[in-house]
Amino acid sequence: MSLLADVLTVLLNGLQQGAIFALLAVGLSIILGTLKFVNFAHGALYVVGTYTGLLVAHEIALTSGKLQSWGFTSLGLDLGFFAALVVVPLFVFVVGLGMERFVARPFYDRPDTDQILVTFGLAIVVQELFRILFGSNSLPFDQPAWAAGPIALPVVGNFSQWRLYVIAITAVLVLVVYALVEYTDFGLVVRAGTRDAEMVRLLGIKITRPYIVVFGIGAALAGVAGVVGGPLNVVNPTVGTDILVPAFLTVVIGGVGSIVGAVIGGVIFGLTTATLVAVAPAWSQIGLYAIAAVILLTRPQGILGNEEVAP
Amino acid sequence: MSLLELDAVDAYYGESHILRDLSMTVEDGEICALLGRNGAGKTTTLRSISGATPPQVRDGTVRFKDEDITGVPAEDVSARGISLVPEERRVFPNLTVAENLHLAEVVGNKSNTWGRSLTFEHKGATTEQVYEDFPRLRERKDQKAGTLSGGEQQMLAIARALKQNTDLMLLDEPYEGLAPKIIEDVEAAVHRLNEEGTTVLLVEQNAAAAIKIADRAYVVDQGSIVFDGTAEELREDEETRERYLGV
Repeated sequence: MSLLADVLTVLLNGLQQGAIFALLAVGLSIILGTLKFVNFAHGALYVVGTYTGLLVAHEIALTSGKLQSWGFTSLGLDLGFFAALVVVPLFVFVVGLGMERFVARPFYDRPDTDQILVTFGLAIVVQELFRILFGSNSLPFDQPAWAAGPIALPVVGNFSQWRLYVIAITAVLVLVVYALVEYTDFGLVVRAGTRDAEMVRLLGIKITRPYIVVFGIGAALAGVAGVVGGPLNVVNPTVGTDILVPAFLTVVIGGVGSIVGAVIGGVIFGLTTATLVAVAPAWSQIGLYAIAAVILLTRPQGILGNEEVAP
Repeated sequence: MSLLELDAVDAYYGESHILRDLSMTVEDGEICALLGRNGAGKTTTLRSISGATPPQVRDGTVRFKDEDITGVPAEDVSARGISLVPEERRVFPNLTVAENLHLAEVVGNKSNTWGRSLTFEHKGATTEQVYEDFPRLRERKDQKAGTLSGGEQQMLAIARALKQNTDLMLLDEPYEGLAPKIIEDVEAAVHRLNEEGTTVLLVEQNAAAAIKIADRAYVVDQGSIVFDGTAEELREDEETRERYLGV
């Protein structure tokens, strides 16, 4: 192993972790930037995504939880990973629509603190619901057979295939969302609404329609993060709460409302974490917050944030 | 039947009573001016007509083409044929001129019209027509609207409203902050669109400039109409002008 190979491995690991942060942050950021809605339940959507993905892709043995005591020893459709990658975004998209309509919309005109309270409460309810049904134990999420194990890359040497897939899937999805926002009529209304929602309505556009779709897209991305991130970790009810704070930090350092900013923020966080895990593992958590502090002290509005946009 | 009819409208901002029993009409095809001092209730009147909230209309009715539109949401009022060119223009600074104009067409998209019991046949001006009316906009079509001068932004706001399916255009202080030469351009534009059949309700603090192009005028003070007559009559009514308009 050469030094170059080590550096490249850290770089790829960083990109992969950054990809998960970015998937979560892009959704959070467009919801926050467009709807001015602070969604602390975004992590709950990740949880829904990861459990749904697990149950669609595999059949798992249950060892604790209510479902087991009701007589289910194993559960899952065992349809494979591709099926999960198709079903989960659609399912979580619909969950997102419901969440916008019944949780977010009644709170648009209320203070941030109210939004935080209701969504954080919802996140806890979701977390505990999964704990009751599946137990607190971590469930294994196997990597799909076609992507399991290492692949020999030039210079780098052996690298996890699945991690490369995570980077690729994220890149494709983020590009699709970016194109939607930048090049379609839907995106045009969303970008206009971010600046002046009332004027959009005065033009005759029923803005609640693009808004609910924005929420659904953000939710679907969080769901995908749960699916692709699942096999890199274990699955348990608290994963959503664990990733919430880094996801929010990613949005803040990238700049609220900016898709590119969320990706840059994700990559910075991913690289920081991967580097510290390689050189000084004990500092990897602190490093995240330290780099966030440095960025925000120099650019309070975030890397690509717009000072004019009201929070 | 008048095109627009406000009947004893009472409008509130929170607990502040802004419009008090305000009644007025706008006739098909005319340019009607609504004048008054700062804070008299001009903008509140326009917002009450266009369905923007606040204010909250607690009493009275707004009728357009003989249909009650009181309390109808802003996007539905707009779809019925009333377009507002608001104070401060409110073009979208982060979008290009062409994108700002294109938004008026997005209104006709299926995703927007579907399930709404309104007719959305697009009969507003085409982009080509508004570019002909305002050649400056064509020159700057790929520029962000935020980089335009005040006069150009006003042109863009009017052009955008023209592209809507509009029968009645509400103009809120279109001359504010503009150089005299630009005011003339805006006047010419208002004249032209009026000749092409759009009814105009013009709100201004600059009474002299408004009377010049209006057929009829109302003066509003403390939320009620205190003068109602032709532009000619207002020009001759020195007492009203001095008392309520300070000119």
